[in-house]
Amino acid sequence: MNYLYHLYIEFLLNHGIPKMFGDITFFILPFCIIAFALLIVVLGLVLAERKLLGWFTQRKGPNRVGWWGLLQTLADAFKLLIKENITPEKSDKFLFNLAPILVFVPVMTVLCMIPYSSEFTFVNTSTNVILYLLLAAFPVLSIFLGGWASNNKYSLIGAVRAVAQVLSYEIPMTFVVLSVIVLASSMNLTSITLAQYSRFGIFGWYLLPCVVGFGIMFICTLAELNRCPFDLPEAESELICGYNTEYSGMRFALFYLSEYALLFVSSVFLAIMFLGGYLSPFGVYLSTLLVNDSFMSNILIYFEQAFWLILKSCLIIFAIIWIRATLPRLASFDLLKFSWTILLPLSIFNLFFMVILKYLEGGAICALF
Amino acid sequence: MTQTTLKLNLGPQHPSTHGVLRLILELEGEKILSCEPDIGYLHRGMEKMAEGMTYIQYLPTVDRIDYLAGCFYSELFCRTVEKALGITLPERVRIIRVILLELNRIASHLLWIGAFLMDLGAVSPFFYAMREREMILRYFEKLTGQRMMYNYFVFGGIRKDIDFLEDIDEILRILPSKIQDYERIITDNPIFLQRTKAKGILEPEIALNNSVTGVNLRASGINYDLRITDKLYEGFEFSPVVLEGKDAWSRYKARILELSTSMNIIKQGLDRLNENKTFEQKLINPLTLKLPEGEFYSEIEAPRGLASVYIKSTGTETPYRLKWRTGSYYSVNLLRKLLVGEYLNDAIAIAGSLDIILPEVDK
Amino acid sequence: MDLEELKTLIEQCELDGNKICIKNSLYDIVNILKNKYSYNLLKSITAVDLGDETELIYNLYSTIDEEDVILSVKVKNEAESIIDLFDSAKADENEIYDMFGISFIGNDDLKRLYMPENWTGFPLRKDYVQDDTRLAWNDDTDNA
Repeated sequence: MNYLYHLYIEFLLNHGIPKMFGDITFFILPFCIIAFALLIVVLGLVLAERKLLGWFTQRKGPNRVGWWGLLQTLADAFKLLIKENITPEKSDKFLFNLAPILVFVPVMTVLCMIPYSSEFTFVNTSTNVILYLLLAAFPVLSIFLGGWASNNKYSLIGAVRAVAQVLSYEIPMTFVVLSVIVLASSMNLTSITLAQYSRFGIFGWYLLPCVVGFGIMFICTLAELNRCPFDLPEAESELICGYNTEYSGMRFALFYLSEYALLFVSSVFLAIMFLGGYLSPFGVYLSTLLVNDSFMSNILIYFEQAFWLILKSCLIIFAIIWIRATLPRLASFDLLKFSWTILLPLSIFNLFFMVILKYLEGGAICALF
Repeated sequence: MTQTTLKLNLGPQHPSTHGVLRLILELEGEKILSCEPDIGYLHRGMEKMAEGMTYIQYLPTVDRIDYLAGCFYSELFCRTVEKALGITLPERVRIIRVILLELNRIASHLLWIGAFLMDLGAVSPFFYAMREREMILRYFEKLTGQRMMYNYFVFGGIRKDIDFLEDIDEILRILPSKIQDYERIITDNPIFLQRTKAKGILEPEIALNNSVTGVNLRASGINYDLRITDKLYEGFEFSPVVLEGKDAWSRYKARILELSTSMNIIKQGLDRLNENKTFEQKLINPLTLKLPEGEFYSEIEAPRGLASVYIKSTGTETPYRLKWRTGSYYSVNLLRKLLVGEYLNDAIAIAGSLDIILPEVDK
Repeated sequence: MDLEELKTLIEQCELDGNKICIKNSLYDIVNILKNKYSYNLLKSITAVDLGDETELIYNLYSTIDEEDVILSVKVKNEAESIIDLFDSAKADENEIYDMFGISFIGNDDLKRLYMPENWTGFPLRKDYVQDDTRLAWNDDTDNA
């Protein structure tokens, strides 16, 4: 971050802008960038999901608005914007309006904590991981608020399901995160990323020793995102739309937006925990190999790191969409049973195994890499 | 603290009631304490309407009783009139009717497979099933000019000779591999098994007591297929699909297997068409058609169970009384029994597995 | 089972084609048919308005003997219910109540099915059109 800061001030001074301006804007700018990038990411994700689902089911997907349907989500977003915001008469109006706003805050905050490249983390605390776990579970609160305040039976059932689901899947997830923390001896996302560095690239990733943990974490992520096959809170064939049955217009768009933002954040988090974050899978950054100019390659490395991170999370998102196209929905009781009887013991066992691995670290195993 | 139950109105506008069925559920948590189906949102008065129409006027409307399998009701109505007039169908017409009926059955079952999996939350199988159904609908459109309400059978024959047989060959060539695809993506899917195996167990005694017929009854282990004794199917060799599972999974599997049975019948039909090349009909003048005095009853194995029609004629141009018996009507009433004690998301799967279609219920 | 044999079983009945017209208790006969002769499937109950009385036609089937039997009984405004024997009769009797206004003794669950709750008249009766005041051709100023 310091390096970027100096670059930024230098850039401003060269153009005759006082340093104070830079001092102020340097801490505001990232949030603007994040907010803007988030919009683009979500629009892209929605389009990607619809296109991919289209291809999986042998359709074309959206292809009318803009070239190759690129403007479709923009058109949909615009449509949602100009739609009427309906508040049910018997709803709790304050909570009903609060819920969609509340759902968005934690997602935005989480986005700022992610190390996109070695110098590009806006909020870098020593316990990023714990902060993430807290904030990622936060949207369920607004789901519950929205479902309760709607005063609709379908919404209520959806909301209750969402709480039960997140509660039971949060625990195995925490155990897996704990095992990664043990491996990396750190709760900082950047340190966890760097701890996965090895000369052989892909072999240093925690995916290798902790493949069970990765599986558990992936399933828990699906559950926490309310994605298929765990999309019970908004099971459309049972609960019509679950907790957001009564929402319309912009409020619905906010729920929708946050859902996809959370999808992005969760997959990035997964990539950081297990797939080496922004590290190159080859061990060496391509820009250092291809570009001779050391200054240029130093700059390019940041972009390359961000590219690797985004690519890894895109692969995870692709898998999530693929699963949605393939699997039917679980029944609610099987869902809870699956978490408590299979995932939880497995994750505890996984943690135990990781601790042993860490104990042996001084020995031969990790010295290999 | 008082404990109260939750009354949930499932439908009439709900994605998984396949139309306008309304189920009034009493829930405790997500457990169903009682279920009361409320029907009649699609009531068109088919029976009353018949009393004011001549037979040929009424003929196009009977396809609308079940818009997914219109052929069956057409055939049923024509058959009853032919029975009353003492007409026996020429061989070629009979075979053509069998081919079209079975094609229609395949289309109907395919839609059910898609809709059932949609109820369970799987998106793709719906599109796959619709894709194959589209081939059949295209063929029907080519032949009859209609995609759903064919109005192709007339008293004593059919509108015109069958054509575009190569399209049927194409359907028969493609369909088996597609069915294999369904089996691969659905049948042994652990989540699908978990949601349908041992869910919605329909004991044969209960099924019979509730007059549930068709695939639902055969999936409960009772061998009752009207096609065996049906004169229309004379000379066709096939065995009905009878499964012992009694659960939602067996009902699914039975329908998948029935696709092959139907294809087998169509294949035999195509072979026999080559042997019976001469196309003759026994058409009657529909404008002066009067049924002799008496009561006429006939039945057929429709995709959703036994369908029958009762016509009482007093010798005039219009029926004195006409009564339809449809399979779905009894399946809906079975829900009252079958859903009690189940959880909400199992209830959707169970109700879906019975293959209820509302125009058939409401008539 | 032969129709003639059945006729000897049931006293006071006559054959009309393949239809057995019953004069005495229907419930008892259906009970015998179901429990002794394994006629376990009630295909349908059909009602026909004959003017001053209504004919109820019961189509029974045995999945074991694979045989049909058709019973017919003529009733005025009340009939015997067979819901104790067949659950599906509940649905059939309800439909007949809705369309013909026949109440079944022993079935307390009769309610309007297809027609709205407050509907007057029974549509499938032959005198329905003449009676219903809401129809356009029956000008009745009281109901306007």
